[in-house]
Amino acid sequence: MTDISKIRNFSIIAHIDHGKSTLADRLLEYTEAVSKRESVDRMLDNMELERERGITIKARAVNFKYQADDGNIYDMNLIDTPGHVDFNYEVSRSLQSCEGALLVVDATQGIQAQTLANAYLAVDNDLEILPVINKMDLPSANIQGTKDEIEEIIGIPAEDAPAISAKMGLNIKDVLEQIVKAVPAPVGDKDAPLKALIFDSYYDSYKGVVVYIRVKEGTVKVGDTVRMMHTGAEFELVEVGTLSAFGFNPKGVLTAGEVGYLTASIKNIADTEVGDTVTLVERPADEPLPGFKKVLPMVYSGIYPAEGAARYEDLKDALDKLRLNDSAFLFEPETSAALGFGFRCGFLGLLHMEIIQERLEREFNLDLITTAPSVIYRITYKNGEVKFIDNPTNYPSPDEIEEAAEPIVRATIITPTAYVGSIMELCQDRRGMFIDMKYVAGDRAELHYELPLNEIIYDFFDSLKSKTKGYASLDYEPDGYKASKLIKLDFLLNGENVDALSFIVHSEKSYARARRIVEKLKDNIPRQLFEIPVQAAVGGKIIARETIRALRKDVLAKCYGGDITRKKKLLEKQKEGKKKMRSLGSVELSKEAFMAVLKMDE
Amino acid sequence: MEDLMLYYHVPFCVSKCAYCAFYSTPQWDEPLLDSYTEALIRQTEGFEGSEGFLVTSVYFGGGTPTVLGALRLCRVLDAVKRCFKLKNGAEITLEANPKTVTYDDLCILRKAGFNRLSLGAQSFNDPTLRLLNRPHTAEDFVACFKNADLAGFDNVNADLIFALPNEDEGALSYSVSRLIELKPKHISVYGLSLEEGTPLFDNKEKYAFPAEDGEERQYCTLCKLLRDSGYSHYEISNFALDGYEAKHNTGYWKRVPYFGFGAGAHSFFRNRRFETPRDVTAYTEKTKLGFLSPTDYENAEEITEAEAREEEIMLSLRLAEGAPIALEKVPSVIFETGCGVYENGRLSLTEKGFRVSNAIIGMLMN
Repeated sequence: MTDISKIRNFSIIAHIDHGKSTLADRLLEYTEAVSKRESVDRMLDNMELERERGITIKARAVNFKYQADDGNIYDMNLIDTPGHVDFNYEVSRSLQSCEGALLVVDATQGIQAQTLANAYLAVDNDLEILPVINKMDLPSANIQGTKDEIEEIIGIPAEDAPAISAKMGLNIKDVLEQIVKAVPAPVGDKDAPLKALIFDSYYDSYKGVVVYIRVKEGTVKVGDTVRMMHTGAEFELVEVGTLSAFGFNPKGVLTAGEVGYLTASIKNIADTEVGDTVTLVERPADEPLPGFKKVLPMVYSGIYPAEGAARYEDLKDALDKLRLNDSAFLFEPETSAALGFGFRCGFLGLLHMEIIQERLEREFNLDLITTAPSVIYRITYKNGEVKFIDNPTNYPSPDEIEEAAEPIVRATIITPTAYVGSIMELCQDRRGMFIDMKYVAGDRAELHYELPLNEIIYDFFDSLKSKTKGYASLDYEPDGYKASKLIKLDFLLNGENVDALSFIVHSEKSYARARRIVEKLKDNIPRQLFEIPVQAAVGGKIIARETIRALRKDVLAKCYGGDITRKKKLLEKQKEGKKKMRSLGSVELSKEAFMAVLKMDE
Repeated sequence: MEDLMLYYHVPFCVSKCAYCAFYSTPQWDEPLLDSYTEALIRQTEGFEGSEGFLVTSVYFGGGTPTVLGALRLCRVLDAVKRCFKLKNGAEITLEANPKTVTYDDLCILRKAGFNRLSLGAQSFNDPTLRLLNRPHTAEDFVACFKNADLAGFDNVNADLIFALPNEDEGALSYSVSRLIELKPKHISVYGLSLEEGTPLFDNKEKYAFPAEDGEERQYCTLCKLLRDSGYSHYEISNFALDGYEAKHNTGYWKRVPYFGFGAGAHSFFRNRRFETPRDVTAYTEKTKLGFLSPTDYENAEEITEAEAREEEIMLSLRLAEGAPIALEKVPSVIFETGCGVYENGRLSLTEKGFRVSNAIIGMLMN
């Protein structure tokens, strides 16, 4: 039985690349949970993709022992958090499972928008925040400046923050001692009715769903029958334990204050939603833990197999498999006149979408065509009915609409002051409403804007990065709906509507966007035997037009001395290309061309 | 006996034309021509099992084969006659450029058995010929043509190029009309293709090339002029008076087997496609070592049944008679756009269709 006063539960929050995962490795290494040899890979990042992108997507927890200077052995639980705005809710549940958080700030870069957002989340969850200044070994490190910035922006004392180098393994012990001293031990009654918070889950092909929990009250052990208080699902527990850096440690019981996992041959990950409360069927808690929220997708996109119907089933299997590990990701079949059979997929945000698409292509060897991402619009019809529309195909005609509203976010941008002007320009161009701005720590500014999510998913990230040479950082949170002048843009090739190209846009942007797409179509569709008009239309009215002229010359007239090799090579190339051709009505279009049209560069 | 066509490649020329990307060289001397001639004869004599074939066509191409001179050409043709059985009325073609053959040469060659001459005119505008680095004038061509006629070459082809630098429709019409006056039995017309690595490509900024529309107009103009003068457009680039369609060239598109002799010569033989070494020295040396069982050749490729079918469509669409293909396999857009017609189980391309034949062939492949 673990002594609750010797437990320390903590997270690490940091901006991408500020050294979160490296610090996690060093902590485990220092306590000899893992030998140096095995820490070559950063252990908390399990997925290949995460490692490549250098970010942590899904939360993980690791338990290790630390013998402190006071002579006691402490039971440490490090709960990793995803660092991206798309996964805000998951972060908040992970933080709910801790009493403290290490706020890692890169001494060469200072505080970034994501750090700030997660730090605020930690404050909201009443966590003890311990600042840690990383990368002290770099010549450009500004330790004092970073401390000042933390005090000024976040408003927590940072004078005693340890300056470390996770990479070089310097001053790691200071961090561990601070955790022991400053992070409060959890409180909870091991004899009370069970209340355990689910902060993550994933599907394991041997154990079924593995549920990560923080026991808040009571005790849970193997053989108990538990109930998920929100979903109502009930299971008999097969395994209960903690997770070490080496894997499962099935100790059979977890008591109040502890962090660990449970399994119960659970087949469906949707039964174990993040934020739900686990209790005992025999002696249930009166009420679940607060803060549960059903996670809903914010961005939708169509995903189609590039090779057409032949790979539809493969795509479906792959989506099913990804869904096993990701209850926030939704999909349902849809058909497009242009692209055939595919799926409408819902994502938490753009990064989430990119991750899923990349995993489908990489892990399942699928070649995909994806349609432009769309947010969920709220349409009030003339007859008073209200509908949420995530697919431009289902967008009603203008005369049926009483009011169209789009989702709004509250965005925080932290930037060197030199870029404030161009950021304001960008936000204004993207229909942003200025809320406020403050100067912080001398040469940096924190801006708040209200922005349509629609604009953010278009190309806001990329524009922000390019306008600020990558120095500005962005974070945002949903902030309801706002009525807006929205219209649906349709595109016609050779007079036929190509449903997969339609999208919703603010009326002020419609003409420029229409022109851009029409030009891209013209540039990317190979000339064919006939002339192809390319048109953009709003409710039947053509607002932009280009013409792809008919192919006039495509001939290899000279085949000298019976040498037909060149001709055959040409033919092979054509055949290769043809495999990936899609017919959009009477017009043939390659996958590359289609994707180029949708690509959101300006 | 199986039909076979023979191709003799002579990769030498008097001077390199500015647009030429083929393997040929103006670097040669008499000993090289001698040793190359010996090599051609050795390869011919070394051909195994020649008694099983009936040769329907012999074609000497290049380069400019007449660089070898009439006597060497006659020796090679003699070797052909010694080693192979030639079909009655077999077509024996020699490519030549004006100023590389005299009247006497032509008489000797005609007597030796060459019965068809292919002359490069390219243009009748002297400034263009100079620009293209052709070693002759328009009048040289006319003189050569008349000499050939006098020497007994009844069947003469003339090559023309359209879409030439600094030439407009009028300049092309002039060339075509001048050529028609001479009444050659056969005319080949190619659109200029600018190939990387050629002097013309490197200097392309200096010249005015017709735009797409202009090129198309030139093509339509020449097709009409030739049609009106009785030439049938029987192949994508070839026009002929009735009965004078080139057997050799047509044979390529009908997949008649052919065997290539000389450096960088291509063969289609026993269902394989292969070629000889391109380098003249390498080729000559190999013939000395007694090579020339077909397995010694380079880039050999066995043609599968599926490939054979694709080749058949791709190649036969070059001919006006078209390709045998089921109607349901032909995308209707080919007819709707006036690029093809369908008759007696064959798809034929129209003049418009010829212009975009690559695209159409691509559409017909599975």
